[in-house]
Amino acid sequence: MKTASATVAAASKPLNPLVAFEHKRDAYGFPVRPQHVQRYREYADIYKEEEEERSDRWSSFLQGHHADSSTDEPSAKESSGNSDALFDESGKGKEDEKLGSDVATGDANEAEEEGFTDAEKSVHRVQLWTEVRPSLRSIEELMSIRVKKKVDLSKGEKEDEKVKSSPGFDDAKSSKGASENDSEDEFYDVERSDSQDGLSSDGTSVSGIPVAGDATSFSESTCPWKEELEVLIRGGVPMALRGELWQAFVGVKKRRSKDYYQNLLAEDSSASSIDQEDTQHGDEKGSNTESLAVVEKWKGQIEKDLPRTFPGHPALDDDGRNALRRLLTAYARHNPSVGYCQAMNFFAALLLLLMPEENAFWALTGIIDEYFNGYYSEDMIESQVDQLVLEELVRERFPKLVHHLDYLGVQVAWVTGPWFLSIFMNMLPWESVLRVWDVLLFEGNRVMLFRTALALMELYGPALVTTKDAGDAVTLLQSLTGSTFDSSQLVLTACMGYQNVHEIRLQELRTKHRPAVIAALEERSRGLQAFRDSKGIASKLYSFKQDPKSVLVDSSKVSLTNGSLSRSESGSSNADEVLVSLTGDGEVDPVQDLQAQVLWLKAEVCKLLEEKRSALLRAEELEIALMEIVKQDNRRQLSAKVEELEQELAEVQRHLSDKQEQEGAMLQVLMRVEQEQKVTEDARRFAEQDAEAQRYAAQVLQEKYEEAVAALAEMEKRAVMAESMLEATLQYQSGQLKAQPSPRSGNQSPSTKNINDQLPEPPQSRISLLARPFGLGWRDKNKNTTPEKPVEHVNEEKPKAEGKETNSEPKDVKLQDAS
Amino acid sequence: MATAGNKNINAKLVLLGDVGAGKSSLVLRFVKDQFVEFQESTIGAAFFSQTLAVNDATVKFEIWDTAGQERYHSLAPMYYRGAAAAVVVFDVTNQASFERAVKWVQELQAQGNANMVVALAGNKSDLLEARKVTAEEAQTYAQENGLFFMETSAKTAANVKEIFYEIARRLPRVQPTENPTGMVLPDRAMDRTVSSSCCA
Repeated sequence: MKTASATVAAASKPLNPLVAFEHKRDAYGFPVRPQHVQRYREYADIYKEEEEERSDRWSSFLQGHHADSSTDEPSAKESSGNSDALFDESGKGKEDEKLGSDVATGDANEAEEEGFTDAEKSVHRVQLWTEVRPSLRSIEELMSIRVKKKVDLSKGEKEDEKVKSSPGFDDAKSSKGASENDSEDEFYDVERSDSQDGLSSDGTSVSGIPVAGDATSFSESTCPWKEELEVLIRGGVPMALRGELWQAFVGVKKRRSKDYYQNLLAEDSSASSIDQEDTQHGDEKGSNTESLAVVEKWKGQIEKDLPRTFPGHPALDDDGRNALRRLLTAYARHNPSVGYCQAMNFFAALLLLLMPEENAFWALTGIIDEYFNGYYSEDMIESQVDQLVLEELVRERFPKLVHHLDYLGVQVAWVTGPWFLSIFMNMLPWESVLRVWDVLLFEGNRVMLFRTALALMELYGPALVTTKDAGDAVTLLQSLTGSTFDSSQLVLTACMGYQNVHEIRLQELRTKHRPAVIAALEERSRGLQAFRDSKGIASKLYSFKQDPKSVLVDSSKVSLTNGSLSRSESGSSNADEVLVSLTGDGEVDPVQDLQAQVLWLKAEVCKLLEEKRSALLRAEELEIALMEIVKQDNRRQLSAKVEELEQELAEVQRHLSDKQEQEGAMLQVLMRVEQEQKVTEDARRFAEQDAEAQRYAAQVLQEKYEEAVAALAEMEKRAVMAESMLEATLQYQSGQLKAQPSPRSGNQSPSTKNINDQLPEPPQSRISLLARPFGLGWRDKNKNTTPEKPVEHVNEEKPKAEGKETNSEPKDVKLQDAS
Repeated sequence: MATAGNKNINAKLVLLGDVGAGKSSLVLRFVKDQFVEFQESTIGAAFFSQTLAVNDATVKFEIWDTAGQERYHSLAPMYYRGAAAAVVVFDVTNQASFERAVKWVQELQAQGNANMVVALAGNKSDLLEARKVTAEEAQTYAQENGLFFMETSAKTAANVKEIFYEIARRLPRVQPTENPTGMVLPDRAMDRTVSSSCCA
């Protein structure tokens, strides 16, 4: 993180960048969109960790290789290929050691940091050019092999060494697919730039002589640690090294030719005095008065865009913008066929943030002239071709997504076109942009653009499929892309998931699609011109008739048509008779007339073609409109049906709720009834129990009564017996005592009483005699009142019955409770 | 293509015009009601969407804000093809930008949808002193070419909403006359016969 801050604002003290910058800007000084601030903060820590991790890895990697190259350099250059391999192994050993000892790596880190700050200071000072630090030299050398140098200084020996080294290492490396691919890519790269050099009438001076492409590509694959480097780069380049590594990737050192940049800028001063122009830069630059005039045209555009490049970025102060102006002007002069194209201002500014001015110039040259050859030129053909290629790849990879987008009427290129043209700047979060650039610059072609775009489609395709109209789809894709903070995921998905998207394949697809783009371009310009012809004449005639007031508009139009179209001469010459005074040049000779007629006819044919084309277009449009109408119709019907169904549903629901209410009411009633039932049931049960108890009591009483009756009967019998015995005794007594009168004739009981009183002996019989009349008397009395009979019955039984009654009563209570 | 369904209209709208005419600023003012002095240059194109309620219809604009530089011209057809409306923007303080706007109008008339609603916006109307293009000049041109013209200022927000509202109002009117192309084609045929006879 320290490193990042140092890069962005060399002037500011090495504070914690998170504190140093206002929180709306990220660690690189670029603004974070308000809706992403939250997510950026979440990822800031992850970035920090990743940065620390990768600077460790890189420093250990570089330590190893720096050792190699330093020992390598003194040795003879011819054997560098072999010695490289040797040292690589030793280097790997060293790396392992370093991984073991943390102290060593720490030291190394500090050393890097120091070196970095030194280099950094120079960025914003007078010094315009610095070399890459020694530790990165080997990488620089490796990468700059693919730069086709126009200066032939060391070419001879280099070729020698390549030839020597290639056979031995080819065998060793041929097993590794990735490096082979790379070499083939290189091969194609060379071929492509060859053909395009032929096409574009050589405005580029750097990609001059394509030398020994095969040899260079082979030698690249021989480098044994290239794969390791590739893995490291995919993992990201540490901020401290980024500027220099990018230079190494692009091959800045090799591209540079001394004083070239200064000479380009020197033209600035001479531009004011027209005479001096040619003498100042007659020689190898190939620029002339014409190109200079064009440059001055671009000047306005550059000037307009200066404040519109990362507005408010802390590093782009007045000095920064002046450097940007110089850089863009120099490039426009260097390559007039491209000149200045919007987007370059952003690239140049980014490069300026990372490296000194002249280094940035050469890096920009490499990127625009080679990596993006034909992309930013006037017609932007390659850019359009790439979009067609991408569309084909997306179609092949994500048929579902494309089908949906087709349905919505969204063209993939609407969104991906800007992605490619800006190399994802301002499209992805900055960390992700830089990670994509790392890989892109390393690979030296546009493959990474495609891979990244495909990875984004893979990540966000599923969400896109759910969108309902074109606007939503594009908005969603834009906002999702803008919040792709997980840069590692993006880069890894791109690099790992789309390995079959490589330069060879892309070249094939490009050659397949290029003719269509060129044809469309030609047709369009032709159609436009034909249209302008007729339009121009018509409006000229019209305004001529009207009044000379609107001459101002008119004359501009005339100059337009005359200036831009050579073909329009036919039209104007035809109209010349009418407009001699207006156009000014009124020479008409017969030969020209014939030519004019031929031209006119040509124009006529063009017009007809145009008409046919527009008719076709109309037909297409009508078809689309018809389809839309049908779609609409269907939609309307569907929506009507849906409404109907919804209504029905609502009704059914209402019914259902009614029914539910009723059911509830019923349930309540039922419950009440049930309760009542239960109550009555209980009551019934109690009553039954009562009855049972009473019945039981009655039974018991009955039994007792019967017992009592039985007892009575016996007593009676006994009484009868006793009576008869008494009679017998009385008879016996009377028989014995004749003197005594018989008591039996009067009242029996008093007589017996008397007898009993009178006769104490025998006592036993006397007792029984007493008992009997008493019992009888009770019996007589009871015969009238039976219910009370048990209560007053026999003295011994009464308490028993009462106990039973008291017992049964609590039992009844208990039963009641239970129920 | 504007599609009208249940009074919801989705309309693709494209902004065209010279570098620095203020296309992006105009959209930014319209969509987010913001203005920045230095708007980053647009690379390729940028997309916005905004919904307006006009009379009884809702218009959802799908706005493509294109890059102004001449060479990005070659990408423009991709964005204006099938568009229901276009705003051609020029800078009233810059005569060249007006000429460029005229070119754009011509291209739209030649290539675009015949029913496209085309608005001409003279932006930066707040810069009174630096004015180079008069309102009359632009108005005359607009009338001659069947466009409507408004002077706008993204900075002060003058007429920004109005111009989009006016487009929205004009959209549904275009809808029922979906195919006047049937009329235009015979017209052209007439033209052709006339010109060929004149040639022969």
